[in-house]
Amino acid sequence: MNVLELDGVRKRYGRRDALLDVDLAVPEGSAIGLLGPNGAGKTTALRLLLGFSRPTEGSVRVQGLDPSDPRSREGVGYLPERMALPGRMSVAGVLALHAGLAGLAGAAARRAIDAVLERTGIADRSDDRVGGLSKGLLQRVGFAQALLGEPRLLLLDEPTSGLDPIGIREAREWIGSARERGCTVLVSSHGLSEVERVCDRVAILHEGRVVTSGTVDEVVRPGESLEDAFVRHVRGGPS
Amino acid sequence: MSALRSFRLLAVEAVQDAVRRRVIAAIAVVSVLSLLGIDGCTTCAGGTIVVNGQAAELPQVAGATGLLTFSVLSLWCMALAGVLAAEHLTQPLDDGSAILGLARPVGRGVFVFARLAGALAIALTTGGVLLGATAALLAVRTGLPPGPAVAGFLAFAIGAVTVAALAMSLSLAIGRLANLLLVFASVGSIALANTLSLAAREPGGLLGLLDAYGPPLASAVVVAVSGWVPQLELPGDPAELVFRSVVWAGGSLVALWWLFGRVELGRQTS
Repeated sequence: MNVLELDGVRKRYGRRDALLDVDLAVPEGSAIGLLGPNGAGKTTALRLLLGFSRPTEGSVRVQGLDPSDPRSREGVGYLPERMALPGRMSVAGVLALHAGLAGLAGAAARRAIDAVLERTGIADRSDDRVGGLSKGLLQRVGFAQALLGEPRLLLLDEPTSGLDPIGIREAREWIGSARERGCTVLVSSHGLSEVERVCDRVAILHEGRVVTSGTVDEVVRPGESLEDAFVRHVRGGPS
Repeated sequence: MSALRSFRLLAVEAVQDAVRRRVIAAIAVVSVLSLLGIDGCTTCAGGTIVVNGQAAELPQVAGATGLLTFSVLSLWCMALAGVLAAEHLTQPLDDGSAILGLARPVGRGVFVFARLAGALAIALTTGGVLLGATAALLAVRTGLPPGPAVAGFLAFAIGAVTVAALAMSLSLAIGRLANLLLVFASVGSIALANTLSLAAREPGGLLGLLDAYGPPLASAVVVAVSGWVPQLELPGDPAELVFRSVVWAGGSLVALWWLFGRVELGRQTS
């Protein structure tokens, strides 16, 4: 079963096509890296999947449902590209609110919050105000809220942004653990090496179109790195 | 995950957000100052009162004072509801918390009505305290019956819902300052149009249209508390005012739901 499906999707802003004829299917349990240069349409694709925006043409399905249906976001963890929260809110407050919105209550919510605080290394910062956190710590809070309640589907937009090398390694482990549970993962990133390490599939977007997609082995030629394949596809070299 | 539970969580968060941003503290300070003003307006007691050279009974004068004070406070709190509501939607859209909340299994209608409920909870509580204090002081000091104040509060509450929902809808299209000015200008214009009409001076042009077809923000409150001034004869049909108030409140809520359901959220271009 495909957890994410974009079928003939076009998204137009004014005269500009942010996405054009995009077909993409992400099977359950897989991890796909959405790659592309700036302005390729990666974040637009994520926004369509989350129902923040509607396609101009084509259809989008998440867990078999139209994204305008809130049930399509049940069991979904989302990490936005720019993690921003009300500055006066505490870390624990953010997590309590999102645990509740994710359907967790009482002891189950407390256990889930404690687990993600511990896992993302911010247990000692739970009473801190979000506004006083560094970019790296804020990204950890973002991961913590995304991982609450062991989601079935993770949508991560530039997940390692702002993290130091240790944080990047830990983020890789968090994503890896989620995958071991059978979680489907979509990572939108410029970090090719990160995608290569955590994803088994890639889709390369360029100027709103999917120029190639498939398993990493299908997209990358023997002896070639993902970076080589990326440059080849984006620059329109021989395929 | 029930929509009702999400609504409750988000509405409580909307109020807590206002507490964190010290909005409630600011409103409390203004309310205390208003209460001092109300105390001053209702201290008339005993003695001979002469109006236009004729001796008047205290309840007659107190009734007119009460009507005026109650109406002005209602309009002030309606404007407050509008300003708070607009801010309550703009703020989470700006700080990113709306995006994160809506990435959960939360419908847009649930989200926007929860934010509206949070803003209205603050505005209605403020209105309840100020209007309640006015009615209580008038009842204790001048013997005016509190009954009309209940009807007046209901009229205020329906007006506050209308102003808040319209201001929230507008906040999706215009900036904060423009919205703030528009809220005060609109409430002021409607109040002026309604007052002219109640004084049997038919307003013309835009004011006439506002009075005839707009939300009867001032008319509804004045008619509701007119029982305090028995000799006052107001034009118009109270049932029509109630009907128009409810239609405007319902229409404003539907407009807010429709508009927020179509807005593009978190637009970025990477």
